[in-house]
Amino acid sequence: MSTGAVELVHLRKQFGEVTAVDGIDVSIEAGEFFSLLGPSGCGKTTTLRLIAGFERPDDGKILLDGADMAATPPHRRKVNTVFQSYALFPHLDVFDNVAFGLRRAHVKKAHVRTRVLNVLEAVRLGGYEKRKPGQLSGGQQQRVALARALVLEPKVLLLDEPLGALDAKLRKALQLELKGIQEGFGITFVYVTHDQEEALTMSDRIAVMSGGHVEQIAPPEQMYEEPETVFVADFLGVSNLMKVTAEGAEGGACRTRLGDFSLRAGCGEIGRQGETHVVIRPERVVIEAYEASGENRVPGMIERVVYHGASDQLVVRLATGDLVQALFVRDGTSREWAQGTAVQVHLPVEALRVLPPGPAGGGVPTPQDVALDATALEVPAS
Amino acid sequence: MRRVRDWFANPWGRPRALGTITWLYMAWSIVPVLIAILFSFNDGRSRSVWQGFSTRWYWGDPNLSVFHDPAAKSALEQSLRLAGLDMLFAVPLGVGLAIGLTRWRGYGAKPVNYLMLFPLVTPEIVMGVSLLLVFVLLYGIALGTEAQVLGQVTFSISYVVIIVRGRLLSIGPEYEEAARDLGASPLAAFRLVLVPLLAPAVFASFIVVFALSIDDFVVTDYLSAGSPTQTVPIAIYSNARGGTTTPALNALATVMVVVTLLAVGLAYFVYRWAARSQPGTSGRALNEITALEV
Amino acid sequence: MTRRWFWPSFALPGAVWLVLLFLVPTYAVVAVAFGTVDPIFQNPVPAWNPLDWQFDTMRSVLAEFEPGHTFWIVSVRTLAYVALSVAGCLLIGYPVAYYLARHARRTKGILLVLLIVPFWVSYLMRMLAWIGLLFPDGLVNRTLIHLGVISQPVGWLDGRPSSVILALIYGYVPYLILPLYAVLDRIDRSVLEAGRDLGASPIRTFFHVTLPLSRNGILAASVLITLPMFGDYYTNDVISGSPHTSMIGNQINLYFQGGTQKTVGACLVIVLSVFLALLMSYYLWVTVRASAETKESLL
Repeated sequence: MSTGAVELVHLRKQFGEVTAVDGIDVSIEAGEFFSLLGPSGCGKTTTLRLIAGFERPDDGKILLDGADMAATPPHRRKVNTVFQSYALFPHLDVFDNVAFGLRRAHVKKAHVRTRVLNVLEAVRLGGYEKRKPGQLSGGQQQRVALARALVLEPKVLLLDEPLGALDAKLRKALQLELKGIQEGFGITFVYVTHDQEEALTMSDRIAVMSGGHVEQIAPPEQMYEEPETVFVADFLGVSNLMKVTAEGAEGGACRTRLGDFSLRAGCGEIGRQGETHVVIRPERVVIEAYEASGENRVPGMIERVVYHGASDQLVVRLATGDLVQALFVRDGTSREWAQGTAVQVHLPVEALRVLPPGPAGGGVPTPQDVALDATALEVPAS
Repeated sequence: MRRVRDWFANPWGRPRALGTITWLYMAWSIVPVLIAILFSFNDGRSRSVWQGFSTRWYWGDPNLSVFHDPAAKSALEQSLRLAGLDMLFAVPLGVGLAIGLTRWRGYGAKPVNYLMLFPLVTPEIVMGVSLLLVFVLLYGIALGTEAQVLGQVTFSISYVVIIVRGRLLSIGPEYEEAARDLGASPLAAFRLVLVPLLAPAVFASFIVVFALSIDDFVVTDYLSAGSPTQTVPIAIYSNARGGTTTPALNALATVMVVVTLLAVGLAYFVYRWAARSQPGTSGRALNEITALEV
Repeated sequence: MTRRWFWPSFALPGAVWLVLLFLVPTYAVVAVAFGTVDPIFQNPVPAWNPLDWQFDTMRSVLAEFEPGHTFWIVSVRTLAYVALSVAGCLLIGYPVAYYLARHARRTKGILLVLLIVPFWVSYLMRMLAWIGLLFPDGLVNRTLIHLGVISQPVGWLDGRPSSVILALIYGYVPYLILPLYAVLDRIDRSVLEAGRDLGASPIRTFFHVTLPLSRNGILAASVLITLPMFGDYYTNDVISGSPHTSMIGNQINLYFQGGTQKTVGACLVIVLSVFLALLMSYYLWVTVRASAETKESLL
């Protein structure tokens, strides 16, 4: 429908000894809300700055609608940025901040006025044009920064953790607003964040980055349900990762060994053989009475029961020594589990996923990790 | 006696002894200057025995008063002339150096950075001697106003760099990047964003350079060409101990103090007024103008 | 992406200025010190080429630094005066800075202004003020006679080391207090309260917490006044004027302003600069080591 497709071809950027972006290939479609997600230092901000033109790539291409932009300085790119710190000019009022780019483009004075007022209206800041940035709240500053970039009608809008400086409640409200603005303007958004929830809520597609590489590119549901690497499984949400020995496909599932137990994993790389990881989300783990039997069941003992309001979290120590978390919605049907109870942990075939072997240490969560995760855990609305 | 001791030694009160020392220090540092100013209004020729109030050493005396003595007038003029020229050259050079050194990531930046620090730790006599020698023996620059300006600018630049660089580092590169992102060329980003944001620091630099120049004695003296290029500090140095020196010298020094304090006071209020729209700067105004002289 | 020359071009004029008017002049001192003297007018003839350097003058100057000789006496005197003055400045300045940073509340603003005023009064004006007070018929003598401490006026300005040292303290103490105040002001109050909470008396808290934490500040502020003091000759000239109190700065000034032996003066400048450079390196070494220690202790 619109222009604004961005293609990164084997893009590489090095700072001295450190390789910030290590030859990534990403293709962003026109009009898409695309998130770059990853921990700090993963190269996501550098990627954004390369697209904006603040950094010169060491290798590779940046194509905007098919044309290479590598040699174009930032002020000639039809790409605009919303900075993490907003970088609103403190000596100019809101109107002049938003008009800054139009004036650089020598837009006629009357047009400047209408366009600025229109965009301020669109971000619900009508009437604020005479204020200085210092007199605005964090959320208002954020919207001025957005208006300042949007008024230039860029093909692509780059956003560098634009909600990072705001408190949690405001962030939630602005997430929805941002998504609405993106859909309304039909502009390609490239959104950098370290907040997985933010990325999952807003994006059409997400690229998870780590160590300068792209781990996986997928829509949110797929990213969550079908992680392709240990890193993605571990980074997004709470995952139970277990080190197993895979023995290849057999009847549409992968036969794996977890200690003395045999598990069949029905998704992921079911053809894999050798040392690797399997993963299962806590909400897919089923806890059964110790007397239950069947395939994919491992005995264990409940170590901890954590009350989460709408749900219960169980931490179970398997007979193999692995820790597994299970999550239940408190709908009145499930039974109450007590600490110290011996149980059978059912890891359903269709929920158990085979991953390629991940980096050492990225595997089984320690009890401390579990405790940390437990406090950060967000329960999906029931 | 006991009450006095208790007043000093109350463990929950404020340390009175320290407070007393502090106030005594303040008095000690300022009262002598006030007395010297008082003696500029002495009716007699003595600078140490009070003989009644008069303004003769300012304008009353037809030959010796500041207003009528050509040497005093010339010293005052030379001090202000040098301060003006020093500000004119040192501030642009220092601002440029600060901006260049902060934003330039090349190989040349580091040595220049070190070079910039040296004038700050070099005793003035070493600078005075080296400038004197190089002007006379190598550059063939005549001593006098030109030489004095060249010397003063040389030690003033580093102070400007320190002030402006501090501000630049607190501004960060984002504002310029934002301007570039919105379509401004490098030069337009510099003019429309960096210059206005740096204005308070540039203003502070002017004041500090003014004070440095007015107060300087050694370099200015080494590069002076006798009486026509004498400044007020040189006049004080030459005549302070003289038996025939009159309170006119105190009057000359007082005029200089008043001019400086007026300039600084005025600058302070202008600075506060100008910086009021920039959050986080107004509170630091006092520090930025004054503390950086150290 | 800015063009390569854009930012360097801002720095270029200032950098060229510093090269021509700081670096080259410094080399000129070396060229004069290791140069020769025109036999008729006794004018220095600089040796710009290091291959032409003559070391006779430097050798004879260094010989005068042997114990008992002229420059030895002057150097020892300079070191003693500077050491006593810095100690005096710390003794006066530390309590003031400490009070300002820790305890002054309502009065802090006015005290800070008073602290800064001396910066805006010319150094020589402040010396002039003391000369008026120290004259034989000045306020100091009259007060002391009135109190019965002395019976005859004392010639404070007739070459007394004590007057010179007191004048140096008076002149330089503001330059020590301000940076010291800045350092003390940054010390976290809760650290001190922790000291009290853990059972240390105020005095012990001061000696075991505040003082060690401000050690670097004390060092930095001392260096800040030590460097110019070593080159100071004007304080001595206006307060004493006697050769019996002359410091290394007076000696250098004598060769350049009065006498004709500029080559000797240049040698003295080099000796002084090398000494100060060593002092500075020691200071940098200490601070770098200290900051490395803090980093280690944080890890």
